[in-house]
Amino acid sequence: MLIDKTKCVNCGQCIPYCPMACIQKKDGIVQIDLDECVECEACRNARVCPRDALYMQKLEGTRILRSQFSNPLITHPKTGVPGRGTEEMKTNDVTGRFKRGRAGVCIELGRPGTGTRLKDVQTVAMAVAPYAKYGFEPHNPVTALMVDATGKLREDVLQEKTLSAIVEIEVDQKDIGAVLDAISKVQKDVDTVFSVDFAGRLERDESFPAKIVAQKAGYKLSPNGKTNVGLGKPLAKEE
Amino acid sequence: MSHTLHRYGINEADLQDDYVVFAIAAQTVNAKGIHPQFREFEKIVMKYNPVNYGDMRTGNKFNVGMETVGSSYHDNSIVHAVFTDEATVTKVLKDLYEANLDLSIVVSGLTDHTAACCHGAGIAPHTVEHSMGIWGKTDRLPSEDVLRVSTMCGHGMLSFNLIKDLAQKVAKKRMTSQQAAEKLAGLCHCGVFNPVRAVRIIDKIAADINAGVEIK
Repeated sequence: MLIDKTKCVNCGQCIPYCPMACIQKKDGIVQIDLDECVECEACRNARVCPRDALYMQKLEGTRILRSQFSNPLITHPKTGVPGRGTEEMKTNDVTGRFKRGRAGVCIELGRPGTGTRLKDVQTVAMAVAPYAKYGFEPHNPVTALMVDATGKLREDVLQEKTLSAIVEIEVDQKDIGAVLDAISKVQKDVDTVFSVDFAGRLERDESFPAKIVAQKAGYKLSPNGKTNVGLGKPLAKEE
Repeated sequence: MSHTLHRYGINEADLQDDYVVFAIAAQTVNAKGIHPQFREFEKIVMKYNPVNYGDMRTGNKFNVGMETVGSSYHDNSIVHAVFTDEATVTKVLKDLYEANLDLSIVVSGLTDHTAACCHGAGIAPHTVEHSMGIWGKTDRLPSEDVLRVSTMCGHGMLSFNLIKDLAQKVAKKRMTSQQAAEKLAGLCHCGVFNPVRAVRIIDKIAADINAGVEIK
């Protein structure tokens, strides 16, 4: 995002709208720190600039990743859905992506509100890779940046910053405790926050073994979550 | 993406008025030509007066307006309605069950209570996603009350600074908490922000400001 200096009156109306706090007034001049800007367009979409001075520059090279991962209005070319994530459990009733006995684990770096460098995404991806028995989610935009199954990302993208980015793996439910241990251990190695969750198909008695494994391993679950109520059709065939 | 997950609450009671019901199609299975079904979803949920409504592709009732949202459904839309009580969610789910829309329906909210809503509607929950909260360098986070508001937009479009700025204005009576909540709802594009819960929290932050509490 850039500011057209021929239009800007340095009123600062846009400053609080930046999720990365990278619009600042210095010596009376409103400026955007382009190294911190994630190209989410939240400032421009807020339409608070009285002179319409904010504009998107043409994004070139790896900088386009900032926009793809940060602007939810963009349909990501890798996933076909708007936003930086995937359908994950939202359509599990139809896709059958998560089968009984397995769980999807998501680690969303930079959320809430701090953003992340992709090098921190790599650090977490490499920490959980040994536990990803069924691999990284192939349709996830982060997976598309990986050079191998170790979770290593392309060298040229590591310094790019995004509003958030999700590392997504699939594991056996019995291994949830070990995965959470690995995530807990890597916390100190990243310079951002991240939100963690896991998802899975419920058993016929509506129990979720992964939840019990996580609790027995000493992890506390938030009281709120997300439930696919199973109304999609055609329902995925199950063994 | 878990755009309706990870809504921060200080306890279970804080989240009891916060439910998002949304519809989505699987792009590789049943999405082709499904967009008229989102209109049917809209007809059902609007009977129950959601406090917010929006489509990730188009916008929400607070920014582009209901007419625009309702006339612009796509096969890859994700359409959301926000409700503030379990009884209404149960009724919505019952109607959606009977309507056979083929769309996947997801409810975000207190997990045990959502299960009760499903049972009340005659539905067996299929798949569950549990939030494990926020990890990592949590000293970079603002106060819990700011987080309670900001995390109601899962795409991170609501900056911590803006929430504090609006709360300051409410504290100084330059705007009402309702106006602040609607301003924030307009910025959370896909319509998952809960303005009713936000009013409650913004009023609390404003009261703290007036009491001399520093808001991180």
